[in-house]
Amino acid sequence: MAKNFFDKVRPTFSKGGKLAWLHSSFDAFETFFYVPNRVTRKGCTHVKDCIDLKRLLIIVVIALMPALLFGIWNLGYQHSQVFGLGWGFWQMVWYGFVKIIPLYLVSYIVGLGIEFASAQMKGHEVSEGYLVSGFIIPLIVPVDVPWWMLALAVAFAVIIGKEVFGGTGMNIWNPALLARAFLFFSYPSKMSGDTIWVGGLSKALAGGTPWKGGAVVDAVSGATPLSHASLDGLSAAGTSAWNLFLGDIPGAVGETSVIAILIGALLLIGTGVASWKIMCSSVLGALFVGWLGTVGGVTDIPCWEQLLMGGFAFGTVFMATDPVTSAQTETGKWIYGFLIGALCITVRLFNPGYPEGMMLAILLMNTFAPLIDHYVVNANVKRRLKRAKTV
Amino acid sequence: MNEDLKKTLLNPIFKGNPITVLVLGICSTVQLKGALVMALSVIIVTGLSSFVVSLLRNSIPNRVRIIVQLVVVAMMVILVDQVLRAYAYSIDKQLSVYIGLIITNCIVMGRIEAFALGNKPIPSLLDGLANGAGYGMILVIVAFFRELLGSGTLLGFRVLPASYVPNNLVILPPMALIILGCIVWVQRSIQKDLQEK
Amino acid sequence: MNTNSNVYTVVYTTIIVVIAAAILAIAAMALKPKQDANIKAETISQMLTAAGFSSKEDLAKLGNDQILKMYSDNIKTAFLIDAQGNKTGELETAVNDIELQDNLKVENKNIAAGDPSLPVYVFVKDGAEINVIPVYGAGLWGPIWGYIAFDADCAKIVGAYFDHESETPGLGAKIKDEAWFREQFQGKSVNYGNPERSFRIVKGGAPKDDNAAVDAITGATMTCNGLDAALNTWFRAYMPFLQKKAGAAATEVDDCCGGDCCSGDGECSDCNHEHNHNHQEG
Repeated sequence: MAKNFFDKVRPTFSKGGKLAWLHSSFDAFETFFYVPNRVTRKGCTHVKDCIDLKRLLIIVVIALMPALLFGIWNLGYQHSQVFGLGWGFWQMVWYGFVKIIPLYLVSYIVGLGIEFASAQMKGHEVSEGYLVSGFIIPLIVPVDVPWWMLALAVAFAVIIGKEVFGGTGMNIWNPALLARAFLFFSYPSKMSGDTIWVGGLSKALAGGTPWKGGAVVDAVSGATPLSHASLDGLSAAGTSAWNLFLGDIPGAVGETSVIAILIGALLLIGTGVASWKIMCSSVLGALFVGWLGTVGGVTDIPCWEQLLMGGFAFGTVFMATDPVTSAQTETGKWIYGFLIGALCITVRLFNPGYPEGMMLAILLMNTFAPLIDHYVVNANVKRRLKRAKTV
Repeated sequence: MNEDLKKTLLNPIFKGNPITVLVLGICSTVQLKGALVMALSVIIVTGLSSFVVSLLRNSIPNRVRIIVQLVVVAMMVILVDQVLRAYAYSIDKQLSVYIGLIITNCIVMGRIEAFALGNKPIPSLLDGLANGAGYGMILVIVAFFRELLGSGTLLGFRVLPASYVPNNLVILPPMALIILGCIVWVQRSIQKDLQEK
Repeated sequence: MNTNSNVYTVVYTTIIVVIAAAILAIAAMALKPKQDANIKAETISQMLTAAGFSSKEDLAKLGNDQILKMYSDNIKTAFLIDAQGNKTGELETAVNDIELQDNLKVENKNIAAGDPSLPVYVFVKDGAEINVIPVYGAGLWGPIWGYIAFDADCAKIVGAYFDHESETPGLGAKIKDEAWFREQFQGKSVNYGNPERSFRIVKGGAPKDDNAAVDAITGATMTCNGLDAALNTWFRAYMPFLQKKAGAAATEVDDCCGGDCCSGDGECSDCNHEHNHNHQEG
């Protein structure tokens, strides 16, 4: 039925049609619903991917589903816990749903609006890259973030992070992380601390007494609101590694549940959409520095627990592996992933000022990914030249 | 005023702006007041240094050319810094080492090498002043946005309503470069001939 | 003339350098008194702000002369003390040759070495003495310093002022820019019972019942930690002096118990009254 509709209106948007100037918007909507009647054209913006981009993105979105669904329930669960409401399952889900929907609306309306406008202006076809970024953004920001802030962050990420570099496939940094970084550095008082991760809590506190229980590590920033105690370690805060793994702790919507993220990771690796090398090496890097930290006496947190904390799992699975901004060469992927994991834990251990190490680590390595690739390729060329000479 | 002088004076302001077109000597401040003082200081330093070097241009031994220029520039910068410290202490305190770092600003040395060494003192003076002004203009524009968005004030006076939530990113150094990028963007969409192919 | 000969080059550069040096020397000499007065007035206006005579903004509008006059009109005495709290020297307070001990960086080192020469400025405001002492330490990017004003018997802080060289604007710089931060110090006291940790800046909000603690600034952890360390280092160095003052007052009033005195005489009863500034709004 819808197919017929598209077929019917297509001539209007084609060259010479009444609404020809809107043809890129038309394309976008049509291909969103159906496989396009032509495959990726030569010379358009899908630089690094050979299969149709949209199918690939859909798989990522599906892989994100477990984390999202769990996060929605968890939103309600945390709210109910903190305010002692004793809600049932569906009430919790409903609360989470109501909380998360506006974030998605803001994310997509602003992000896609800018994408459409810029595609229209440049006369390109609208690229679908934002579908995933827009899906991830609400999962990694505090749920109580004011909508206008989110809108601003999304606009910044899409315009400065993506469009000025030439749109999807040309961006240096992961747009979703850029949006989060924008929020984090622009409005630090709204983005750190331990009251922002539970829906409704910061608002409830705004008029009341200062919150006791300063938290430093990002994981911990989510781990404590219930304990009312300053933090000596996770166990002191009443959060076990099992809680971290399961994810029934306060935190960004999509980031808390390692198990839900793992399900997504399996899907991504199974379909070959995301690189298992990056995920593996990132985990190795984190374990390595986490281990150094415990050996060196910097921290009491065992290195494997670092993997369960904060945004590490989510970042490793969904953002470090972003095919556009990660390293492209196979050896490069190992180096890139390892450094992300290592840097993330390094930041956590040594910089109490900016506890979300994962965001900074990935953004930094995004910046260096082309350099890594360059040297890997060069090394390869040199090795082959040498071999050619000796023969 | 003859055509050449006019060109010397106007070109660096817009078409050949040392920051947005030559991409030299980028630097920034958070507050508009600091930017104005900084701009003025750079204008004086570039103008007078170019003037003095141009006076000396025929007598400078070629081998130690750069050193002599550096002595002149450094002297000007220290003078400006001393005067500010005596007569505008609070601003000097705010700008701290950055006044002294004008010495390292490539615009100053760049204009001396490119212009003052081969031209008469008066055109050199104008060229220096104009390049300083071109630099200052960009500095002031960047500082305008940073102070407005970062603290909701201009020259210390509150202009945005108190309900405005200051954006801390604008105050951090990277945002100065992003704003600069936007200025270059705007300029190049106006002057199409500046766009690289 | 051959401008590239060695002799010419040497002579030429020598002349240029000598001329430049002469110009700079003359300028520096001519401007030195004015610059010194600026620095002195700046230091004094920080003290006056801490002691509550005026605000930094109002003082900035006054000329140096007026600030110096205000200082010498309101000060009773200024002197130096050693590590044991004994007076070792006087500082001149007459308006034309005010002496300050403002090289805090050196004193900070001397404190660590155990041989400081610390200034105490005693002002008189509305008939009561106010003791002002400096603090100095390292922030995130550079030095931070400030002045703390105590009441006559050093039982209570009546005001504070902080400044910094290069803390992050909008974050660490708030120790200077945000009035609420320094205002929370009013009415607080130093915990004489615990000389090593006599004052705390607490991230996430100070406990209400702790009168020797204030709220930290959200997002400025490193600067606040630095300030916390600076306060403790300098309070420790001043401790013998402060305790002597407090002790003398205690024997006079006789029902005050040194550090956490909040009983009896009514003067301290406002110790606990609302300083619960909500840092979330900041």
